[in-house]
Amino acid sequence: MKRVPMGGNRRIGIVIAVACIGAAVLAGLHVAHQDSAYPSTDSATIDAELVHVASIVGGRLVTLPVHENQHVHQGDLLYRIDPEPYALTVRQAEANLALATAELNNQRRLLAVRTAQAATARDQVTRAQANRDLADRTVTRLEPLAGQSFIPWQQYDQARVTRNNAEISLAQAHQQSAAADIAIGDLASATAAQAASQAALDRARYELRQTIVTAPADGFVTSLRVKAGEVLAPSQVLFTLIADDAWYAVANLREITLPAVHPGDCATVYSMIDRRTPLQGRVESIGWGVLSADSAGLARSLPLVPRQMDWVHVAQRFPVRVRVRAADPTLLRMGATATVEIRHGPACP
Amino acid sequence: MRQKSFCFFFFRKRRSLLPLVALDGCALHGAPSFPIAGAYFPAWMLCALLGVAVAVGLRAAFLMAGLDALLSFRLFTYVALGTLAALALWALAFGP
Repeated sequence: MKRVPMGGNRRIGIVIAVACIGAAVLAGLHVAHQDSAYPSTDSATIDAELVHVASIVGGRLVTLPVHENQHVHQGDLLYRIDPEPYALTVRQAEANLALATAELNNQRRLLAVRTAQAATARDQVTRAQANRDLADRTVTRLEPLAGQSFIPWQQYDQARVTRNNAEISLAQAHQQSAAADIAIGDLASATAAQAASQAALDRARYELRQTIVTAPADGFVTSLRVKAGEVLAPSQVLFTLIADDAWYAVANLREITLPAVHPGDCATVYSMIDRRTPLQGRVESIGWGVLSADSAGLARSLPLVPRQMDWVHVAQRFPVRVRVRAADPTLLRMGATATVEIRHGPACP
Repeated sequence: MRQKSFCFFFFRKRRSLLPLVALDGCALHGAPSFPIAGAYFPAWMLCALLGVAVAVGLRAAFLMAGLDALLSFRLFTYVALGTLAALALWALAFGP
């Protein structure tokens, strides 16, 4: 009598148990599938781009109109370095340029003089040529007369000597003319010196302009701890500017979920500054590389392969860069903890 | 929309069962990460707590109602029921 209901109860119990366990397994599989198809992470970080504000010139900081945490716009004056040494350098460069220009004018005059001298030398050649021709004709004329003793032989000899002298004079005049032509030269040296002085002046002016540092982008002044009077080395970073024209959430997602993430995907970002406000984001890119402890090592050394026998390997995570749409600026602070949900959440209908 | 209605259901019916989530109004609305004493606890931990609570609560309720006698493999059944509750919370409140 007792066995029949017990057996019935037992059968019902087994059916219930199998149904519950089966439902739980199915639900577990479904949730696991959903979780990998719609990845999310609660260890994301709010990120933005930075500018390490520095001037390429050094000197004493004379004006510092900005203060810590202030918002600045692109082009605003951030600080000013004492311009006096650079103004003096500009003046020196201007003087050097004036000197080079004067030297160029001087060389131009000398060039005119040398050109005239060369012309004179050419005229001398013409004269020497005419003299030589005359002496030549005289010798030709006197030669038959001297042969028939119409004139003294002495006179003929003198005519030949005169012709030889005229030949030598002509050769000398040729040489002098060639030398004078070469000596004319050009203004290349003086022009180059002027160009060098001009470049030095331009550089000095550029350095003078660099004493005024303006904001390269809209953003917030951070880690500014000095006041005017500080002496800065060239290229010394005075503070960091957090650009606020674009904000990002960097979500480290496991590699197995990356096939479900595509650039352009919608994302819901919660900044934990206010965990109730969903921010809309869009996947911009997925990181192409992270440093792995297994591949770390000196590039020129041998591969560093640890001896190990790990059976369980933790999935590598890659940073997924999500651009956050314009939102309440008080929610966006660099380094804030964020939660990112890819292709789901209230911001992605 | 879905989350709001779920919260409404959640608090109307089971307020006494789950004081943990009633930290600050409807804590489910917002990021699936819960700040407790300056640390963030993930949503799945809340689901697991709910699963344990549902398993224990169902055991007590079934004992009172006399349904417990019908069951066999009780441990597995209650664990499965708790798991189902936990997964249902995840799917309704935090899932896509």
